[in-house]
Amino acid sequence: MEYSENDVKDLFLKECEHLKQVIGCDFTGVALQHHKKLDVIWPYVCGNRNDKYKYITVRYGKGIAGKVISSGSPMEIENFPTNIIGKSTEYPIMLAEKIITAYAYPLVWNGIPKGALLIGYRQKYDFKDEDYQKLKQTASRVQGLLPVYFVEN
Amino acid sequence: MELKAIEHASTYIIQSQEEEIKRIALELHEGISQNLYSLYTGLEFLQSGINQPDLQGYAKEMSTLLSRTIQEVRLLSVELYPSTLKTLGIFAALKSYIKLFISTFGVIIHVESQGEERELTEHKSLAVFRTCQEALINIAKYADTSEATLSFTWEEKTLKIDIKDKGIGFDLQKAIETNSFKGIAAMKQRMFIVGGDVHLSSGKGKGTNISIVLPIQE
Repeated sequence: MEYSENDVKDLFLKECEHLKQVIGCDFTGVALQHHKKLDVIWPYVCGNRNDKYKYITVRYGKGIAGKVISSGSPMEIENFPTNIIGKSTEYPIMLAEKIITAYAYPLVWNGIPKGALLIGYRQKYDFKDEDYQKLKQTASRVQGLLPVYFVEN
Repeated sequence: MELKAIEHASTYIIQSQEEEIKRIALELHEGISQNLYSLYTGLEFLQSGINQPDLQGYAKEMSTLLSRTIQEVRLLSVELYPSTLKTLGIFAALKSYIKLFISTFGVIIHVESQGEERELTEHKSLAVFRTCQEALINIAKYADTSEATLSFTWEEKTLKIDIKDKGIGFDLQKAIETNSFKGIAAMKQRMFIVGGDVHLSSGKGKGTNISIVLPIQE
């Protein structure tokens, strides 16, 4: 089945919107690595305050998404910018969207982490076990969309 | 400690820090990067002689990792010290930095220049570069705005730079009283060392304007 760019966008945004509603967070976003490059972009977000995400490109290993992709493990930030690894400027999506608490989960394609699904709150928030479960369920569905994205791009 | 002695001490600290940053950046660029590149080409050569698919795959993985490391080291070196300052001048170096800034923070910076660009000494260029860098990072961190303007005005004896944003601004008086002004104080000190000055105006909901003035000696 062939998908247009808008179809792909709708599929990802539907998952972001759904996750935002079931968890009740302020922001959800999918970060993906360029197909042939190492840089990471934020092509699909929900609950954004501005359009900065459209221009943000983070280096592999930098920022919350870059760190999740390079390590292949989830990452939690409890109270940004307190107790973060590195400088606050290394987390541009957190600065741009004024996110205080965030959790990002790796998105794997062909056995390699190629993206991250992020949920964020603009006030300090204590995650509950069910939040992690809901995020994992959505991440699994978003992973199912990755072949469509990477074939189209 | 007398005020003059404190000023001398902070001048010494800033200059020593800059010299050290430059040394590390050059060492990364001209030493470590070159060695890594030699390793990379050697590995590529060895890879062409490997027949076993498993080993060839492993060598390819190592080669990709090495290529990524070379890129990281190069970017880190440029981040630490922009070598274009010396070769292409302050305007080109700042434009290049702004390109990186936009793609990092998503904040669009409009750059304008009036008058004919003059050659600045390396010390002056670096002071202006670091001051603008600090001002731009403050916009990304605190201004909560998607756009800002950086204007250069080259006059006969002076270079003026205005960095304006229409972000949330802040209460200047309160910032001075609570001593949450360290970044601006460092900017002022940097410009003071090279004979220039920094003026700042801001108000809650009124955005922020930073003016840098630097005398240009013929």
